[in-house]
Amino acid sequence: MTEDKRQKKTFPKLPVINDLPPKKRGLVTTKLQVFEALDPMGPELHWMPERGKADDPWKDFRTIERIQIDQHITYRHSLGKYSKFFLELENKKFFATKCPKCGQVWPIPRPVCPNDLTICKWVELPGTGTLVSHSVSQFIPIFMTDRVEIPYVLAMVRMDGAPKTLFTHMLKNYGKEKDIYDGMRVKVSYSNKPAPHPLLLMWFEPV
Amino acid sequence: MSERKVYVLGGGISKMAAERPDGAMRDWIVEAVMEAIKDAGVEIKDIEHATTSYFSDHFDKQLKGGAIFQDHIGMCPKPNVRVEGGGATGGLAIRNAYAYIKAGLCDSMIIYGSENMGRHVPSDTAQEFIAYASDFDWEFQIAGFYIAYYALMMRAHMDMYGTKEEQFAKISVKNHRNAMYNEYAHQPMDITVDDVMNSPLITSPYKKLDCSLLSDGASCLIFATAEWAEKYCSTWRQNPTIEFVGTGCGTDAMRLADRPWPYPGIAHYRAKRVASQMAYKMAGIKDPAKELDCAEIHDAYSGTELVSYEDLGFCGLGQGGPLTNDGYFDLGGELPCNTSGGLMGMGHPVGATGINQGVEILNQLRQEVHPARQTLIKTGLGLTDSHGGTGTFVGVNIFRRVD
Repeated sequence: MTEDKRQKKTFPKLPVINDLPPKKRGLVTTKLQVFEALDPMGPELHWMPERGKADDPWKDFRTIERIQIDQHITYRHSLGKYSKFFLELENKKFFATKCPKCGQVWPIPRPVCPNDLTICKWVELPGTGTLVSHSVSQFIPIFMTDRVEIPYVLAMVRMDGAPKTLFTHMLKNYGKEKDIYDGMRVKVSYSNKPAPHPLLLMWFEPV
Repeated sequence: MSERKVYVLGGGISKMAAERPDGAMRDWIVEAVMEAIKDAGVEIKDIEHATTSYFSDHFDKQLKGGAIFQDHIGMCPKPNVRVEGGGATGGLAIRNAYAYIKAGLCDSMIIYGSENMGRHVPSDTAQEFIAYASDFDWEFQIAGFYIAYYALMMRAHMDMYGTKEEQFAKISVKNHRNAMYNEYAHQPMDITVDDVMNSPLITSPYKKLDCSLLSDGASCLIFATAEWAEKYCSTWRQNPTIEFVGTGCGTDAMRLADRPWPYPGIAHYRAKRVASQMAYKMAGIKDPAKELDCAEIHDAYSGTELVSYEDLGFCGLGQGGPLTNDGYFDLGGELPCNTSGGLMGMGHPVGATGINQGVEILNQLRQEVHPARQTLIKTGLGLTDSHGGTGTFVGVNIFRRVD
């Protein structure tokens, strides 16, 4: 049996509603649709269209207008106390922070160590490590397509010199998907291509 | 702690659906509140305080939505606070009701939650909005979609314990099937393990039918002390009496990568263990698997529910897979979980989700749900598990039937 035939919905699927052509938008330039909303609608859940409109408690409120809203926001985003990590990626160097009190090295840097609220120092790591886990995505949202390839491999790596926690980034140049295995040795690779966010100046690849 | 006891008087839901083109959060919340008021046998004019539960300011392009909701349900000028913790928002709102009443700030509290997730924006934009709940500079930039992280967590669990894809596919089958007996559910489906396994691969090991839903809808719960209920609740002691007996909350590092090893590592939910232990202690529960009659679990993905069984202490670490296989958590099993259909079958309008769970447990304990999904009520204890991010916020709440 197909998936669709098995699907027993309590309410029928909503019909596809086409957008109005610009000429039919009346006085509202952004008017997309005017339509009659079907159930589900409100606490009188047991009202069904076949019972007739007379006892529909929402009959005065079923005509719906939909308009288009566009919002464009530009941020002047500060990378704050993490900035050195990002600036050093342009120098093809991988920096972490080390807590002078407990000695823990944070591969995703932290200005202050959460173990003891002590201000950390920057330390350079070799940029090599071991793959701990990964996932392979066959689909990615459209907004990610300018920055990653499909299939997309997200990797969790235990960096050499920072054994307690992990670093997250994508894995590239791995050959075939079946060649990826947890426990494999990987290294940071640095990009020469301009990128919209400095984190995208690096990725992991097999050693 | 004060000796005041807190009771759950009633709940209401505005239907979950992929799209509710008839309105937006304010409309659905009003509807859920109308149902809850009727269910509880109270009047809005008597309720003293509100808690607003929604997660994202992006979906509705509206800041301070709580002011609108409060006004539209006739609660002004009485107090209202917003609670937010990603996917755990609804569970934390329930906890908030308990805290405020227990502390004596009020004797009655209405909590309402919703999310406008449907199709006001395309699905990809919805994914992006949700992914803003990951760390913007360190996680969002490289994988602005949660499934990549959840899939990786599940792979780690599979490697550690030998958990099988077919085992968590069974959870998808269970939850979609349970939703068939829930008229409020977004996606009731009668499917098989093969259907799940053959649905499109999104991020290995997760297929389309392993994933929860983007839903529209709203829900509401009403809490009060016994003294308040005796005075203002017309159904008090006529309806079964449901007491709020335990609540817990836990957190974990925002970024999955920053969590300690070996536990939770990247396979487990430490926040869930902390929250549930806290709630069990408060409720006097020693063995949750034996003592709970039913539980609603945050099944963002099918595997998430499987791992949650372990971190909630329903079984040992690594036992989630074998017990799922044996039907332990099915209707008719030892501990039926997600009888409502969960996030996969009932739906997942984020701010409403945790409250949906509470409404389901309330109605289960009252024995008022559809007979096909009614669990056997023995101890009268039911649990909700509400979870945000990759387990960054968790709220666990326990109700008990006491009549």
